[in-house]
Amino acid sequence: MSVFQIFLQQLLNGLTIGSVYALIALGYTMVYGIIQLINFAHGEIFMVGGYIGLTVLVISSGLPIAASPLFLIVVLIAAALGCALLGFCIERVAYRPLRRAPKLSVLITAIGVSFFLQNAVMIGYGAQDQYVPNPLPMAAWGKGGITVTPLQLLIFAVSIALMIGLQLIVYATPLGRAMRASAQDPLAARLMGIPVDKVIAVTFAIGSALAGVGGVLFGSYYSTINFHDGYLIGLKAFTAAVLGGIGNIPGAMLGGLLLGLIEGLGAGYVSTQWKNVIAFAVLVLVLLLRPRGLLGERVAERA
Amino acid sequence: MIDAKVHTPSVRSALVAAVAFLFLAGCGKPEAVVRIGFVGPLTGDQAAHGVDMLHGAQLALEQAQQAGEILRGYKVELVSLDDQRSPAQAVAAAKRLAADPNVLAVVGHLNSSCTKPASAIYNEARILHINPVSSNPDISRQGFNNFYRICATDDLQGPAGARFAIERLGAKKIFVIDDMTTYGRGLATEFIKAAKGLNAEVVGHEGITLGEKDFTPLLTKIKSERADLIYFAGMFPEAALLIKQRFELGVPAAFVSGDGTFEVNLIRLATPQAAEGVYVTALGADVHQIPTAKEFIDAFEARFHHLGSYSSYAYEATRIAVEAIRRAGKNDRSAVLAAMKEMKEYRGILGVHRFDARGDTTLRTIGIYAVRDGKFQFLEAVD
Repeated sequence: MSVFQIFLQQLLNGLTIGSVYALIALGYTMVYGIIQLINFAHGEIFMVGGYIGLTVLVISSGLPIAASPLFLIVVLIAAALGCALLGFCIERVAYRPLRRAPKLSVLITAIGVSFFLQNAVMIGYGAQDQYVPNPLPMAAWGKGGITVTPLQLLIFAVSIALMIGLQLIVYATPLGRAMRASAQDPLAARLMGIPVDKVIAVTFAIGSALAGVGGVLFGSYYSTINFHDGYLIGLKAFTAAVLGGIGNIPGAMLGGLLLGLIEGLGAGYVSTQWKNVIAFAVLVLVLLLRPRGLLGERVAERA
Repeated sequence: MIDAKVHTPSVRSALVAAVAFLFLAGCGKPEAVVRIGFVGPLTGDQAAHGVDMLHGAQLALEQAQQAGEILRGYKVELVSLDDQRSPAQAVAAAKRLAADPNVLAVVGHLNSSCTKPASAIYNEARILHINPVSSNPDISRQGFNNFYRICATDDLQGPAGARFAIERLGAKKIFVIDDMTTYGRGLATEFIKAAKGLNAEVVGHEGITLGEKDFTPLLTKIKSERADLIYFAGMFPEAALLIKQRFELGVPAAFVSGDGTFEVNLIRLATPQAAEGVYVTALGADVHQIPTAKEFIDAFEARFHHLGSYSSYAYEATRIAVEAIRRAGKNDRSAVLAAMKEMKEYRGILGVHRFDARGDTTLRTIGIYAVRDGKFQFLEAVD
C-alpha cells in the first residue's frame, strides 16, 4: 500500500465514525440552540436507538423479508420513530415542567434521565454486550489496497441524506423558520404566533430520531452494543458539537466529521492508545483559538 | 385533641403485644454460617467469563454439600460479588469480604489487574485466596503465603504462543497488540521476549484501551507494515472486533491471541466467517480430554447447559477451598490457611495439584486451539 493509499484508507475509517458523531452532535446542537440545555440524556437516546434496532432485527430474524439488505432501512426507520417518541416524551415529562426553573435544575434532571435510561436498558437487556447481526453482506470491496464495506457506504449515504434533509427542513420549510425564530428569540416568536412549545417538542423529536439512526448504524458497524455506549459516544458527539459551534447545525456536522477524522488519523499515525488524548487536545486547541467553535455559536439573544 | 380511641387500655396492650410478637418472630436463633467468597466480572462486557466461573463455583459447593457436612455446626454458603473487571471495584469487593468474619476463603478474581490489588487485601485479612485463572506471574511473587493459583502463568503462555506462531505458523514479522492491563501488558511482554529469542521481528507493539471499538486505523497501519502475524494479548470483546475489522480491511496477517479471548462469544461477535483460522492459547489442556473431568462436564452441562472456558477452574478452586475448610474443622481463618498449607496435594478434575513455594500449581499446561467452522478446535497441549 502506498503512503497515499494508507492515508485514503485512514480518511475513510475516520469519516465513518465521524458521520455517526455528526448525526448525534446535531441533536445536541439543535436542543442547545433552542432552549440552551445540554441534553445529557442524548447519548442514551443514541444507545436506545441501537437497542431498538437490535430488537427489530432479532424479532424479525425468521421472516423472509429480513434477509433482504434493504431491511436495514426498515430497522433505521423503526429506530428513528422510536427515539423520536422517546425524545418527545422526555421533553414533555422531564424538561418542559422545568422550563422556567434555573438552568442547573434542568441539567441535573437531564443527568437523571441519562442514568434512568442506562439502568432501564441494563435491567431490560442485561449488562452483557449484545451482539448485533449485520444485515448487509460481510464483504470487503477493495481496489488498490483500499477496502470499503457495504455497511460503510450505507453509513455515508444515510448520514449525508439525513444532513441534507435536515438543512432543507431548517432552511426551506415553515417549520424550520419557526425553529430558527424560536432559537433566536422565543418571546418574539411567541408574539408572532409561533407555538414555541410545539416547536421545541418537534426539535427534540428530530434530534432524537437522528441519534436513533446513529445508534443503529453504530451498532451494526461495531457489531456489539452495551448500555454503557451512550456515555462516551455522547461525550464525543457533544465535543464535536462544541467544536463546530454549539447551536450551529452545519457546525455540528463539520465538528462530527472533523472529530472522527482527527481520531482516525491520530490513531493511525500516532497510536491507538493516544487517540482520545489527541482528539480532545485538538478540541482544547481549537477552542483556545476560536472559543465560539469553528463556525460560531448560534444561541438565543438575551435582551 | 388526639384521637382518644386508639389509646384505650385494651387497644394499647393489643398493639404492644402485636409489636412484641413481630419483633420476637424476627429474632430467630441465628444460624451459624461460614462463607466462601467469589468475585468476578458478573456484569459488563466480560460477564460471559465471570458468570461461567460463578456457575463452576456454585456447582462445586452444591456437590460438596451433597457429599456430606463440610463444617460441623455450620452452613457453608457462597457469597458472590461483582467486580465488573475494574480494579477499583475489585478492591471494594475484597474489603467487603475481608470485613465479614464468616468469610473463610475467596475464589477469584478473573482479571489479573483485579486479582493483584485484591490479593493484598486478602493477605492482610489472612483469608485463603485461591485464584482460578489470573495468569500474570507477578501476583504470586508478592510473597503472600495465603495465595494459591491453579492455572498456568503467562511466563509459559507467552513463549508457547511465540513458539507456535514462529515455528508452526512460520511468522517472521509480528505486530503485537495488548489491552494495557496487568494481564495484557504482561503477556505481550513475555511473548515479545520469546519471539525475539526465536529471531522473529516484532514490527510494532501498541496498546488499546478496554472498551475501544474502532481498530480500523490500527489495522490499516498493520496492513501497511506488512506484518504476517498479529498477536493479541487481551480479552475477547476487543479481540472479536479486531478480528472482524481485520477481515473487513483485508489484512492478510494471521491472528494469534491469549486465553482471555478463549470464549465462544469471540467467534459469535467476530462472525464465524471472519474468525476462521484464528488461533488461541489457553491455560490448560482441553477439559474434554481429561478423564477425571468427565463427571464434572456432564454435571455442569446438565445444570447450566453451556460449559465455558473457565468454569472448570472456578469449580476446582472452590472444591479446594471447601476441602481446606473441611480439614480446618473450625470457623477460623488461620486454621483454614494452615490446613491448606498442610494439604500436600489435591486430586481434582484437572489433575493432581501440588503447590510450589509461591502458591502456584505444578500442574501447568498451555493448550492451543484453532477456530474452524465457527467452533474452537483443540490442536495440542504444550508444557
